[in-house]
Amino acid sequence: MASTERPEGRSLGDRVYDMLFHNYVWQSIFRSGYPNTPRNQMLVVATNVFLHLHPTRIHRTHVKITHTYCLGGLSFFLFLGLTITGVLLMFYYVPSVERAYEDILALETDVRFGILMRNMHRWMAHGMVIMVLLHMMRVFYTGAYKPPREFNWVVGVVLLVLTLLLSFTGYLLPWDQLAFWAITVGTNMVGSAPILGEPNRFALIGGFVVGPAALIRFYTLHVIGLPLLAAIFMAVHFWRIRRDGGLARPL
Amino acid sequence: MVATTQETAASPAVRARARRQRDEELLVWPDLVFVEFIAAVVFTLSMTALSILINAPLLDRANAGVTPNPSKAPWYFLNLQELLLHMHPALAGVIVPTVALIALGAIPYFDRSHDGQGEWLSTPRAKLNLILGAVIGTVGTLLLIVWDSSKHVVLWARLTGNDETDWPTKLNWLRNARALQDEINWPSEITKIPFGEKVLRTDLLGLPRIDLNLNLPALLVEQILPVTLMIGLPLLMSLVLHKRGIARTKRDHMIAQFSGFIAVYVVLTIIGTAFRGQGMELLWPQDVVPPVS
Ligand code: HEM
Repeated sequence: MASTERPEGRSLGDRVYDMLFHNYVWQSIFRSGYPNTPRNQMLVVATNVFLHLHPTRIHRTHVKITHTYCLGGLSFFLFLGLTITGVLLMFYYVPSVERAYEDILALETDVRFGILMRNMHRWMAHGMVIMVLLHMMRVFYTGAYKPPREFNWVVGVVLLVLTLLLSFTGYLLPWDQLAFWAITVGTNMVGSAPILGEPNRFALIGGFVVGPAALIRFYTLHVIGLPLLAAIFMAVHFWRIRRDGGLARPL
Repeated sequence: MVATTQETAASPAVRARARRQRDEELLVWPDLVFVEFIAAVVFTLSMTALSILINAPLLDRANAGVTPNPSKAPWYFLNLQELLLHMHPALAGVIVPTVALIALGAIPYFDRSHDGQGEWLSTPRAKLNLILGAVIGTVGTLLLIVWDSSKHVVLWARLTGNDETDWPTKLNWLRNARALQDEINWPSEITKIPFGEKVLRTDLLGLPRIDLNLNLPALLVEQILPVTLMIGLPLLMSLVLHKRGIARTKRDHMIAQFSGFIAVYVVLTIIGTAFRGQGMELLWPQDVVPPVS
């Protein structure tokens, strides 16, 4: 392809470059050539499953860091980071009242980098709540909820709720005093609703007090139920950004 | 979309505009992907650094028999737990958050104009509305918390050199919200309205009689007053901003209201997190000690 554009007598650099990027194996993976021409740069975005979340071109103002501060992107990035550290934590954690606390202790003392994994998971979880709230504020103050993006704002509110629920269900899992009483206080609030409060609380914690049933419910929601929902809503969120014509900008 | 109608009648001016738009566009690779990559790297590094420096908390094993004082929810729910101290639990724990979320989701259906989208604080008065909304939200919330925690009595005592107990008995009903119920001689007709006996006559249906006596002053303190304040004060703010010509469009009002909401949320969260000690008493952060069991 690109070699036809080149004059005779190629330098060593050119030949190494061709060896790396114009060989059979590389081209079987990446169909477009190396992204060093505008054409290839657009192709690489359009043909890569991860990059094609983006359009191929984007308005100048949206690349400016002060337009979005990357807040939505960082929320998503935190979600990915939480998934990775979370999967690693699952290797060592059993959601039973007998084992949960001991598993966390063991994670901190016996597992190489265990405490780092736990810290990262915890701080990223707090970070995600903050990041999503800030992202919401950025979207509001740039008026990006206005038509045609109304529904994507609603999807965002659902994502905010899911983020809070993810964080809340994770809070119980270490099964220490902090976890136990925070969830007791939190679920008691649900129980105070008129009429439906008590049944809802019962369904949430699987009994009248926080115990083994609550632990397994929160665990299941935390590691599969809510992340799955969040992933689906994020897919809709990103899809809608593209469908609504990219990020909002003055008409 | 708009483009289809334009394409059919592509006048030179329209084509020129399309070309100008193209000129203002950048390629996602490398311009955006590069920014994203840098953001991701910086973020990974700072999260790793934070996690090396600060350990996640882990207390003793959970014990249902030992209640720490105070027991607090995770920080992002402490705003609700703070509300819980001032009103009926059903309001604070369920109704207020539900209504707030619905109102949040309804913003774009209320403010439907296209004006000023995709621009930071686009109206000429946006910044002013933001600041006023945030300041009013912050000050209003703080004043209400101070009043309901009787700290104005403490302040009065400090300023006048009196003792807190010197607060005039006649003004006892001004000590806090609950005092409106306890310190006023309400006639017994309204503190014990036989709702079950007179209104909800379940016995007429052959069901057991409901023993339900309404306490109007308690209802006032726990529900009527908080609801009135939570709806009335924001409305009042919008009214004043409108009258003063500060908030002129819907967007202006939205900005003031949203900023007020965020301010209230943040203030309640901070108070609940750092200023509530044992028994959820209002204290300065340096006086708040870790929970005891
Ligand atoms: C898990 C939570 C969320 C994730 C991962 C997420 C992700 C994103 C990303 C990556 C963008 C692209 C622009 C940017 O980075 O700012 C975006 C845009 C947007 N988000 Fe979110 N978001 C989340 C929550 C929310 C919330 C809570 C809201 C509002 C209530 C919201 C409303 C919107 C809207 C309306 C846009 C379009 C903005 C524009 O056109 O300028 N999102 N989101």
